[in-house]
Amino acid sequence: MENKNLFQNLYLKQFNESNAIAYNERFVSGSSDYNFQLLDNAYRNAGRTYAKLKIAIETNNCISEDCALELTGIKNLEESPQASLDFLSSLIAELSVTEESSFDPNNNYKYTAANSLMNARPGFSKTDGYQAYLDLLPDGSQQVVFLGPAFETPLVINNAALNALLRSDTSLVVSTPDINKDMLRLLTEVGLFSPDMIGENKELTASAKITEEYVMMNPDGSFDYEIIDLGDGKGRNVLKYDLKKIEKKVTPFINAEVAGLMSSEQDVIAAWNVYISKDTSVEEDAQMAQNANAGASSWIYELDLPLQQDKKVLFEIKYKEYFMNNYLKQFTTNQSPTVKEDAAVFDLAEAKKAKAQKFLDDNDLN
Amino acid sequence: MIGAIIGGVASIAGGLFGASAARKRERAAARERARLQGKLNSLEANRQEIINPFQDMSAMISNPFANLSVATGAAEIKIEEADISLANTLDTLRATGASAGGATALANAALRSKKGVAASIEMQEKQNEDKRAAGEKQKQDALMQEGQRVQQGEAWEFGQRESREMQQLDRTASMLGASRQAEAQAASDKTGAITGMFGSLAGIAGGMAGGQ
Repeated sequence: MENKNLFQNLYLKQFNESNAIAYNERFVSGSSDYNFQLLDNAYRNAGRTYAKLKIAIETNNCISEDCALELTGIKNLEESPQASLDFLSSLIAELSVTEESSFDPNNNYKYTAANSLMNARPGFSKTDGYQAYLDLLPDGSQQVVFLGPAFETPLVINNAALNALLRSDTSLVVSTPDINKDMLRLLTEVGLFSPDMIGENKELTASAKITEEYVMMNPDGSFDYEIIDLGDGKGRNVLKYDLKKIEKKVTPFINAEVAGLMSSEQDVIAAWNVYISKDTSVEEDAQMAQNANAGASSWIYELDLPLQQDKKVLFEIKYKEYFMNNYLKQFTTNQSPTVKEDAAVFDLAEAKKAKAQKFLDDNDLN
Repeated sequence: MIGAIIGGVASIAGGLFGASAARKRERAAARERARLQGKLNSLEANRQEIINPFQDMSAMISNPFANLSVATGAAEIKIEEADISLANTLDTLRATGASAGGATALANAALRSKKGVAASIEMQEKQNEDKRAAGEKQKQDALMQEGQRVQQGEAWEFGQRESREMQQLDRTASMLGASRQAEAQAASDKTGAITGMFGSLAGIAGGMAGGQ
């Protein structure tokens, strides 16, 4: 395993998905207390504080001049319930990213642990040594603190910081872009397929074929087939594609797709770590091939942001390879001829001889 | 379970999760919008230049007959030959002691020859002038045709650009519209969920009042 954070995340993911806890007799026989009561604890003394401030103002017993501090305290307390709800809903939304199937385990594992705690997952109760607090701070901001065995040091998240991040379209925990969806859509956009091959779901139909403009032709206008050996002396034709022309056509669209992804460099790192670096898919990860993600070649959020130009270039190259190999290749290999007569199985020796003769004829080599 | 974790009234917890789901959708829509915008910007910036096949080529049109020169070299040789011939003949006459009338006849012949040469030059000049005029007319006709062609080209180029830009704009508007709509819907869902929680917050407010 390449690094501790990666290991912790993958361990937590495996732990939550494995159901192993159901076979732990100590857990099954004991009770677990998940009653963290974030709001109850945070507002326990709020009523008293609010009342004291109100009384101080109404009885002219303020500590500060013109009751400025007291009025600010009142304002903060009046606004804090709404702020708490906003904060917690934002935090839950961010932490829930750790449950996505394409979650990048290079995100801070503490968020995965915090999500397990917030969702009362077995093994993350107060009984197991975990604790969480919502603190109303004197400056009007709020913070949630997570503590427990999985957190080497407390995880503290402040609502003002979180709001600032979210306002600038930055995530606490980055959600990996859905590369599969993006690439299926990209297939329909690169101009290799005619519009009638795009279904209602905006994806290519099962029978989609690259248009003949990109199929190799003989000088006489007939198709230049590749012959596939089927065994037993039999063969059949498959279409040959002008791969250079195809690449030239699709490259600007792929570049534009990458430029879109680059609008969030966090997304680029997540896509790199989960898919692009090692040509892996979510399925492979789900099969618990733990090194299917980028592993040692992972880019680290804390170190690699902002992305250097060489990494951007590398990402673009590998993204293109990923698209060509995993999505486009199926349309350029083993494609049956569109001319019915050419699609039939034939005698291989005769076909090869005929093809050689045709070459001699076409090039005046007889 | 989450109710206990968050604490307070159970519906707050339910509302929180509704709000967080809506918030997540809102964030996803915003990310999608940013991604689409980046992609469109790249497409716009890197699209092929429109090449006008009707581009102005009038600079290449010229009158090939504008500077025709008169072939005077041959005429000069002819005159020179006539003079030499005359001088030689005169020398012969002198040597043979011919009459003066013969010399006059010779001089007249030489003069006629020179007049013929002058007439030839004049004719060449006239022909060249005719060619120049015809060439100029052809040039003007070609320039006029080119002007019309360039106008057509500009119209074509405008049409192409207009059509492309309209396609881009339509697509941008459509995609951005969809992502904005998703964002707005998610924001509305979030507001709804949080508004629902405020009933529950009465408990907290009540707690505050109770503290008095």
